[in-house]
Amino acid sequence: MASRLPTALPRRPTTSTLSTFNTLAPQTTSSSIIPTLQQTQTRNATLIKRPKRPYAFTQVIQLSDGSTYTMRTCSPHSLYKSTKDTRNHVMWNPSEKSLKNVEVDEAGKLAAFRGRYGRGWDAESVVTPEEAAAEAKAAAAAGGKGGDAKKDDKAAAAAASFEDKFDSSYDPLGDLISSYADNDANVAKPKKK
Amino acid sequence: MASSARSSGAAAALLRRRPNVCASCRTTQFLRPYSVAAEAQATAEAHHLKPTQSEPHVPFTVSRKAEYRIRSGIILSRAPLLTRPLTPFENSFFFYQKRLNERLTTEFRHSMFFKKDTAADLDWRIKLEERGGLVAKELGRYYAKGRNAWNDELLVGSTLSDENRIRETLLKDAELRVTEDGEKAKPDEIVPVEKPQPRITESDKKNDVQKLDRKLDQTLYLVVKRPGGEWQFPADDMSTEENLHQAAQRILDAAAGPNMNTWIVGRVPVAHHVVQPTFEDSSLVTKGVKTFFLKGRIMAGQADLKESTLGYREFKWLTKDELKELMPEPYFKSVRNMMADR
Repeated sequence: MASRLPTALPRRPTTSTLSTFNTLAPQTTSSSIIPTLQQTQTRNATLIKRPKRPYAFTQVIQLSDGSTYTMRTCSPHSLYKSTKDTRNHVMWNPSEKSLKNVEVDEAGKLAAFRGRYGRGWDAESVVTPEEAAAEAKAAAAAGGKGGDAKKDDKAAAAAASFEDKFDSSYDPLGDLISSYADNDANVAKPKKK
Repeated sequence: MASSARSSGAAAALLRRRPNVCASCRTTQFLRPYSVAAEAQATAEAHHLKPTQSEPHVPFTVSRKAEYRIRSGIILSRAPLLTRPLTPFENSFFFYQKRLNERLTTEFRHSMFFKKDTAADLDWRIKLEERGGLVAKELGRYYAKGRNAWNDELLVGSTLSDENRIRETLLKDAELRVTEDGEKAKPDEIVPVEKPQPRITESDKKNDVQKLDRKLDQTLYLVVKRPGGEWQFPADDMSTEENLHQAAQRILDAAAGPNMNTWIVGRVPVAHHVVQPTFEDSSLVTKGVKTFFLKGRIMAGQADLKESTLGYREFKWLTKDELKELMPEPYFKSVRNMMADR
């Protein structure tokens, strides 16, 4: 314990003590004082290891609209072509019509699916009650002047059926199960042998 | 010394007698009796006083409301599409940093990225051999672990750090050097990588100031002109029924047509320009004009002045520097602070 006392530890000369020696003490007396100082070098900095970093290349990034920039990366490839980014994503390009969710059915797979299973799996098209009513009115007008009362009835019925359909209890999957393909007009009937 | 002290005392007494002099005049200005007239004229000019007025009114805007017309305007801008080109100093700084990094990082272990005896592995080996065993692609012949590793600085006039050269080197390196059969491709089989479009567009070369695809790294501003008039931002008188931002939207539609996808950034004006009223014998000759500009951005579309109901017949998309040359000095001075540097 006694050997661990601060006085026993090697002491580094500080600038303040050195300056006092130089300025105040005359040269003849300083020679008798200096041997009492113990000068030891410390290399604390060498104890900290340099962190190991992976090798970095420079890479050209090409965004989907053709604009490029360079960045540092670990990847050894010189060119990275992005297929989906902010330049062709609909969230960042709200006015770009080509990015909207449009049904592309070049191979006719969707049509084939519908031919077999009906349209029960289609996404609902958004129709407001007003539109439904207007549609019904237009249909009634096209049907002839059968009677104004009937027209209003039809409009009301259309609106009601709309509410039915988008009621919270409406379940498209349940509907599909209960009315299976055999009573669907779109579905090809299996041939009886 | 004594005389100046006396005269300053006299001036202070003179000022004390006139309670309407503003605080800064009272403390800093030194009024001599014989220059009172000249001083008054200077004050009148500074505060845009009417001939009958001798001191500025305290609630300045309220008492002279009737002498100004309020106009609303819009500064429609296109944001820069590209970052600016780097300066030669920046280029050489980044180049130096990369070479320094070569000496400090761990070595590249290509077995971590390429499976042995695959096409990608062969491709890498071919390119590595061509670079003389150097892993880095764009740093020139610099061996970071070699005897001359200290010699990492470029000499004056070297083009190695040029960003265009670096990009071209990297794109050259991106070419596939292996055929589909997994063999080394012959020179005529190598398909070059498509080059990115240059910064300078066709409109830049033609200096077509009506196109929006010019000066891609700077902001463009829409300026319009009436026949025989001066180039300015679209502006019009307001009715008392509408707000500044509503008027700005109306003016934009009226001036440059609806064929633009625009966004008015805020409801607060970003700049204003004042034309002072003129008087003759204390009667108003022409009203002054205060124009408040709102900031707008164009996202898509183009200005179309054929249907313009505000009488504008020409338009230009210009940068800040070009506006400075084109516009009258006071007009540009009142709007320049809302413009970004580039």
